[in-house]
Amino acid sequence: MTDREQYAPGPAGGAQVRKDGEKWTLILVRALRHSPDKVWQALTDPAQLREWAPFDADGSLGTVGATVQLTTVGAPTPHVTATTVTRADAPKVLEYKWGGFDMRWELEPVGAGTRLTLWTNIDRRFISMGAAGWHICFDVLDRFLSGAPIGRIVAGDAMRFGGWRRLNAEYAKQFGIDTRGSDV
Amino acid sequence: MKIKLTSVYVDDQDKALRFYTQVLGFAKKTDFSQGPFRWLTVASPEEPDGTELQLALNASPAAKAYQQALFQQSQPAAMFFTDDVKGDYERVKARGAEFTMPPTDVTGSTIAMLKDTCGNLIQLTQLARRKAK
Repeated sequence: MTDREQYAPGPAGGAQVRKDGEKWTLILVRALRHSPDKVWQALTDPAQLREWAPFDADGSLGTVGATVQLTTVGAPTPHVTATTVTRADAPKVLEYKWGGFDMRWELEPVGAGTRLTLWTNIDRRFISMGAAGWHICFDVLDRFLSGAPIGRIVAGDAMRFGGWRRLNAEYAKQFGIDTRGSDV
Repeated sequence: MKIKLTSVYVDDQDKALRFYTQVLGFAKKTDFSQGPFRWLTVASPEEPDGTELQLALNASPAAKAYQQALFQQSQPAAMFFTDDVKGDYERVKARGAEFTMPPTDVTGSTIAMLKDTCGNLIQLTQLARRKAK
């Protein structure tokens, strides 16, 4: 079996939801054994984003004011949104919007590695799905940075995957929501 | 090949879902999200496995421009067929919809036009040949 076939995500963890009325923010934390500089490149360079992220970028996300087209990978119809990078303090803080979502990335050095935090607002009904999806993306990112890329697992590829369903259920339980409203 | 789906652009998918279900009377069929993309469709309860209507967010400049231009020129973004346009007009109006045209006889049909609250005009059509039913 290939590394991709063997991949199975671990238990749900490192995520919390901040509930501010109807606006819910998903906060994901992941410890990576790679330097902030290296992680920053993976968050901003289009070629590296293609290895793990749920969107393609047509330019670098590493420059404040840059306008970049983000294409949602595997959406049922082509879905492209323009974004402007609003903060890019390499290798610490990166902010832009993905469609209607605020995306804030924070990179903190911990020893030789990085504590990576993502804040993103997601519709409450889909927030456990988002947490499950990002969990898998971060696993894939970690493998990519370790020099053993398994190729990104997003969209239908992720949903077809047993681990995603389990993560979705686990995160829903952790967040105190049910997934019955979801059709997936 | 089959025609199973058509789309309207809307400026707010939650508001659209309320209008198309609670006011027009359709039923939610599919609703899932992938990142900021949300696939949302409704279908007629009279034909649950019939053609779906996708309520697509007008997220791109092209979608916004197209939607606004149609609306300004009084062009419906979608057309639904009914066997009782006058009855539907009264029912939908009673649920708060704003009609821009009451049931009006035109060539081969009777039509009415209403706002969908999400940036579109919607046409209801009753074909004349179905009146005998």
